[in-house]
Amino acid sequence: MKPVDRVEEAIRKRLDFSASAKLRDRLLEDVLNAQKKSKAAETKPEIRRIIMKSPIAKLAAVAAIVAGVVLSLALVDRAISPTYAFEQTLAAVADVRYIHAVRRDAAGQVDDERWIEVGSDGFQVRYRQDNPPNRLIIEDGETVSVHYKDKNTIILYDPEEKQYQWIANLKEWLNELAGDGSLTIEQNVGYWGRKAHLVRWLKLNIDCYIDPASKLPIALAGYEVSYEEPPAGVFEIVIADGVMVVDKRPGAESAEEPEWLAAKSANDEIASANFSNARLALAAGRYGEAAELFAKVVEVQSGRNWAWFWLGKSHYELGQYDAAIHEFSKVIEMFADSEVVPHYCHLARGLAYAAKGMKDMAQKDLDVALPIMIDALRMIEGATLFDYADDPLYRGLSESERPGAQQSRVMMVNRLRIVSGQSFGYDPDASTEANEQAIAAWEQWHKNSGEIGFTPDAELVPIP
Amino acid sequence: MIEDEVLKWKFKCGSTDALQRIYEKYLNRLLTVAMALLNDTEAAEDVVHDVFVSFAESAEDFRLAGSLKSYLTTCVVNRARDRMRANQRGPVRLDESMSMSSCSDTPEQEIVCSELAQRLNHAIAQLPDEQREVVVLHLKGEVKFREIARLQGVSVNTTQGRYRYGLDKLRSLLNGEVEK
Repeated sequence: MKPVDRVEEAIRKRLDFSASAKLRDRLLEDVLNAQKKSKAAETKPEIRRIIMKSPIAKLAAVAAIVAGVVLSLALVDRAISPTYAFEQTLAAVADVRYIHAVRRDAAGQVDDERWIEVGSDGFQVRYRQDNPPNRLIIEDGETVSVHYKDKNTIILYDPEEKQYQWIANLKEWLNELAGDGSLTIEQNVGYWGRKAHLVRWLKLNIDCYIDPASKLPIALAGYEVSYEEPPAGVFEIVIADGVMVVDKRPGAESAEEPEWLAAKSANDEIASANFSNARLALAAGRYGEAAELFAKVVEVQSGRNWAWFWLGKSHYELGQYDAAIHEFSKVIEMFADSEVVPHYCHLARGLAYAAKGMKDMAQKDLDVALPIMIDALRMIEGATLFDYADDPLYRGLSESERPGAQQSRVMMVNRLRIVSGQSFGYDPDASTEANEQAIAAWEQWHKNSGEIGFTPDAELVPIP
Repeated sequence: MIEDEVLKWKFKCGSTDALQRIYEKYLNRLLTVAMALLNDTEAAEDVVHDVFVSFAESAEDFRLAGSLKSYLTTCVVNRARDRMRANQRGPVRLDESMSMSSCSDTPEQEIVCSELAQRLNHAIAQLPDEQREVVVLHLKGEVKFREIARLQGVSVNTTQGRYRYGLDKLRSLLNGEVEK
C-alpha cells in the first residue's frame, strides 16, 4: 500500500482493535448486570408516596415547603437588586429559539442580516443570511441555497458540503467565554440610548451589551441582536422563474457550471493555497515571497483582514514602511464601523510610523494599543490576539502547542521594550514578587507618561 | 439500519437480547474509536465499559431519533474527552506508548490488533486533539462532518479543514511506514 495517498483507506480498513474473548465476556457481564439492576430499580415502590402516607411526614413536608417559600422570597428580594451576573445571560440564552442579527454599514444601511432558528441542542436548524444587494443564503434544513442576484443564479448545496452560520451555538460559545477568565462587566452603561450592561472579553476583543430586563445580548461583536419569531417564509428557498439553478447536491442533474462560478471557485482555491504558503513564508522569514503571495490573496479576496495584516507585516520586515502603513490602515478601516478595535494592528502601524520617524503618528496609534498591552501583563488573555498577529502559524497550532501564560507574558514584555525603550527587569526565572515589581513599573510608566521610545534593537527577554 | 431501529425499540422495552446484540455489534468499533482517541488500552477499556454500562442503565429514559452508531460513538468521544481533561494530557504519545505493552505481543492482552493498526494508531496519537477527533470520528465512527462540527461547536468548513490538516500530518508521519 502506498502510504502517501492511502492513509484514509488504511485507517478505514486496517485500523481495527478487537476485544479478547475474556474482555468481551467480562464487559458483557457488567453491562447485563447494569441492565438488570436498572430494571429492578424501576419496579421498586415509589418511596415518596409511602413516606407521604405518614401524617408526621406530611407535616414535615409542609414545614419544608414553608421554609422553601421564605427562602425563595429572600432570593427574589436579592434578584430584584440591580446586580447582574453573566450566568443570568447563559440561562436566558438557553430558551432562545430564534436569533435575528443585523449589522449596518457606516451610512446606517443594513449590510448583513441573519435569521437563525435554534434547535433544542443550541445549534442552528434553519438559517438565512441576506447581504444586500447581491447575495442571499438560505438553509432550510435540507438544502443550502446561495443566490447571486447580480448573476441571476442560485447554487444549491448539500449542507454536509457547505454550511453558513453566524455563531455555531450561542449558548455554548458564551459558556466557553464565561469560563476563560477574561470577562469583565460594567453595569448600566447604556447602548444607543437603551439601558444595557457591557460584558467584555479581553482575550477576543469582543464587546457584548446585555438587556438588563431579559438578560439577553442586544449587541454582540458588531451585530444588533433580537429574538423575535421571523416572518413566515423566511427560511423557504424560493426559485423564481428565469433564475438559473446550479444544483451541486450529490446525485443531482444540473445545468453546466457557469464560467464565472468556475472562475470564482478556482480563484478561491488559489487564494486559499496562496494564503497558506504566504503564512509559511512569513513564519520562515522569506518576507519578499510572503508579500508577493499575500498581495495575490487580497487581490481576489479584498475582505480578508489577516491577509492584509500579514501583507503589512511582510512589508514592514522588508523596510517598506509606507506600504505597511497603507495595509495596516486597511485593517483598521475594516473594523471602523464595529465595536471591535484591532489593538494588535494599532501596535503594528505605530511601529511602522515610528520606524519612519513619524513620532506623533506613532504615539497616537500606540496610545490605543498600550493600555491593553500593559493590562495583559496581569490578565494574560489580553495578549492572545497579539500572539496570533505575531505568529502566522498560530491558527494551525493545537491548544497545547500555543504559547502558555508565561511565554505570552514574556513576549508582551518584549513588545513593550521595543515600543518604549524601557526595561523594567522582567525575568521569567525570577520570583513572582520580583516580576510583580516589573509589571508595576510598566503600569507606573504608562500612568506617568507612556511616552514611546522606539527601540527596534532593544534587549529582549528569552522566551521560556 | 432498520435492524438498529428494531434494536433501539426492543432495548427500550427492556430486552436483554437486544442489549446483547447492540453490545456485540458495536463493541469492537467503539474500542477502536477509544483506542484511536486515547492510545491507551486500559483507558480505552474503561471508557467503553462506562459507555455500555450507562447505556444499559438508560433504557427507561432512552429516546433517540438518530443513529445508534453515532450516538454510541459520541458517548465514547465525550468520555474520552473527560478522561483526557482529568489527566490534563492528550493521548499517550509515540515515545511513551513504545514502553507500554504492545496490543498483540502477549497472550494475556485484552485488546487485540495488527502491527499495522498499532502503527496507524501511534501516528494518530501525534495529531492535535481536534484534528485527531475529526479524523477518527469520520473514518472510524462514520460520523458526518456536520455532526462532528456540532460536537466540536465549529462550522463544517472548520471541521473539514481540521480533517485535511490531520490527514496531511498523518501522510508525512506514515510516509514509508505503511506497506500493503
